[in-house]
Amino acid sequence: MAYMALGDLEREVMRQLWDAGEPLTVRQVHERLRERDLAYTTVMTVLSRLTKKRVVVQQNDDRAYKYAPAQSREEMTAGLMLDALTASGDQDAALAYFMGQLSPDALKAAIEAATKK
Amino acid sequence: MTALLLGALGLTLSLVVPGPLARAHWPDRAPAAAVLLWQSITLSAVLSALGVVLSAPYEVTRAAGSGKPVAAAALIGALVVAGVIILRLVVSLIGVTRRSRVRRARHRELVDLLDRAEQHRELGPDNLRVLDGALPLAYCVPGREPRVVLSNGVLQVLDRDQVDAVLAHEQTHLRHRHEVVMESFTAFYRAVPGPLRSRAPLDAVHLLLEMISDDVARRKAGAEPLRAALERLSDAVPLAEDARADPTGDARRRRLDRLTKPHTVSVGLNVAAALAAVGLLVLPTVILVVPWLDRALDHWPL
Repeated sequence: MAYMALGDLEREVMRQLWDAGEPLTVRQVHERLRERDLAYTTVMTVLSRLTKKRVVVQQNDDRAYKYAPAQSREEMTAGLMLDALTASGDQDAALAYFMGQLSPDALKAAIEAATKK
Repeated sequence: MTALLLGALGLTLSLVVPGPLARAHWPDRAPAAAVLLWQSITLSAVLSALGVVLSAPYEVTRAAGSGKPVAAAALIGALVVAGVIILRLVVSLIGVTRRSRVRRARHRELVDLLDRAEQHRELGPDNLRVLDGALPLAYCVPGREPRVVLSNGVLQVLDRDQVDAVLAHEQTHLRHRHEVVMESFTAFYRAVPGPLRSRAPLDAVHLLLEMISDDVARRKAGAEPLRAALERLSDAVPLAEDARADPTGDARRRRLDRLTKPHTVSVGLNVAAALAAVGLLVLPTVILVVPWLDRALDHWPL
């Protein structure tokens, strides 16, 4: 089996789920990652880790469990940026230290405008 | 007398000094020493408050000529209040540290999953993550496994030199563990009761930490690319109409001003500010607390 760090694997599996656009079974994910030459159980482990991280939801569909991303890539990205921006001294220690000192409110409004469909 | 003097010192340090110091411009030329001075001011204010709590009951009972039981009760009360103050600070610090750690861990987890950095390996650092999205955004997530995060928008609006300057700036925050400094000021801010609370130290220290990172980045990548990056990152954001005016516009202007001038870190100011910081901690102790302790221990009622 070609060596791949767990983090890279998780990112790769997420990418497959996002690209698929529909819930996938473990077998289907394994199939899509054919060229990576991964063990079936490895794919299963990665999917259960992602489920535990609440970024993937497991659906019980007839015979097999299917997995789907909890949010679209765009939604998750926008949520992450908002989280980075909502760091305030009143609430909590800043999460992140920014390059550029635009007001968080202005940035937040911009993100919301940018992600609105 | 000791209690009154310590009280006056504590109130001066927490109510009078922060405003003018936050507005002063000399710290722009000695940001590291100015951070030290802010830390010393804050610590000295806490010690003054503790000093008041411990010395006031003793002085009042002595002046009133109270008997030993009253003096003993006053002393015990004072120790309890001092304990509560210390406990409140510690609890606040633990809370802020823990909440930030949890939040950053989650943020790091998601950034790692969304990362597109494989397309940008040439940019360098292992801890760099690139997010999709046209909104230009650059920040770092501190911690034991730190990350520098750029949005794709940053790579579109900045050239390579400017991106390097941004990366150098963010890596400095991470290497110098600036989050520890910010967390301690945040914890203090949250522990102080409402009327005595001031955001001035928090905001001033944040700006100074940015300046420290700017100074390292300008040495590594040049002042001009850094200044251009700072200007573009803020300009390129499409401002929504209902967004409030930039409350930190002054901070941003101060950073840009420093970057247009030749390197102006001043040795003299650094030394003066550092001396002031040490003096604030040592002098009140030597002048007020030690003589008082000397007298008070002679009449220890317990």
